[in-house]
Amino acid sequence: MTTTKKVPIRYYRFRNRLRDKAMTGFVDDGSPGAISTEALDAAEAEFDKMAEGYPDWVQGHIETMYDHYRHCVEKPKSRRMCFRKLTFIAHDMRGQGGTFGYDLISIVGGSLYEFADFHKDGKIEDKHVELVGAHIDAMKALIAGRINGDGGAVGKELLNSLEKAKEKYANAH
Amino acid sequence: MAAYSLDRLSVLVAEDNSYLGSLMMQSLRAMGVGNVRRVEHGGEAIDLLRLMTKDPTKAGLMSVDLILSNWQMSPVDGMMLLRWVRRHKESPNRFIPFIMVTGYADQDKVHEAREMGVTEILAKPFSVGSMAKHILQVIDRPRQFVHNPTYFGPDRRRQIKTLVDGKERRVRTDDEIDIVHDDN
Repeated sequence: MTTTKKVPIRYYRFRNRLRDKAMTGFVDDGSPGAISTEALDAAEAEFDKMAEGYPDWVQGHIETMYDHYRHCVEKPKSRRMCFRKLTFIAHDMRGQGGTFGYDLISIVGGSLYEFADFHKDGKIEDKHVELVGAHIDAMKALIAGRINGDGGAVGKELLNSLEKAKEKYANAH
Repeated sequence: MAAYSLDRLSVLVAEDNSYLGSLMMQSLRAMGVGNVRRVEHGGEAIDLLRLMTKDPTKAGLMSVDLILSNWQMSPVDGMMLLRWVRRHKESPNRFIPFIMVTGYADQDKVHEAREMGVTEILAKPFSVGSMAKHILQVIDRPRQFVHNPTYFGPDRRRQIKTLVDGKERRVRTDDEIDIVHDDN
């Protein structure tokens, strides 16, 4: 390594050791490499295998969200704390649902995340809590029905119901 | 196009969601990555990297070639881990490629990660294809690192674009830039 004068900007141009490691057994002609089809298929198989178990695993998340919802209903003073926790879990749901093939879980989780994140530091009214409940009910239905992918007609119907609930609570006084 | 052999690579996964963490580990192993370690949050990652520096045998890890980290984790999130890796004196390698895995979709968050020196951002939900694409990007197209008074990390410019108005907006001259090579 060579260093010279003291200057405001320094560029580090290092040898690509990661590529050196990955090119074992090949002559590097400079062109981009690939991950073999066999390896990608094996990784896909792991995704599929884990996607099968996802509905069972995610039940715990949904139950925890439901517990927070119940707390919001029964103990209004705990609403801010519960909304913060819900924000965290909903963000997680948004990220994981689609990864396991449950695209609508990502959509509903994303909607709940944005809603809870927006309201978590403000005045949380009953109508806000009810809308959280509507999101959780939608997620429960999606998992109970194993509704993956875009969900087809059933999925569309569920999303429509959620949108109606959002409109209803947005207009509630 | 040559198929890479990833069995000499060592990847550290920081993911608090056990199911997702497990998926990432299994997928990386299926892709042929030789050594994959998972920790549950940024604090555990830092502890492991520290131990690796002091006692590689005890850490069970000689080096880490790539970090894949979730952003939202508790108590130490992915951004704090990235900051430590890039800036802390105890970091074993401040140049290590760092892929942030995140469900945050807004531009502000992407900008925040970029300013902290992230290498790639893998958006959740992700697929095998998107995961592989970002890993290949790290291997095939490493960027030079830039160190200036306000930034340390991979060059934020991924390509050289033709200047719209024909004027160079950077104010530094070549005399003010030091280039460090390491070709050994």
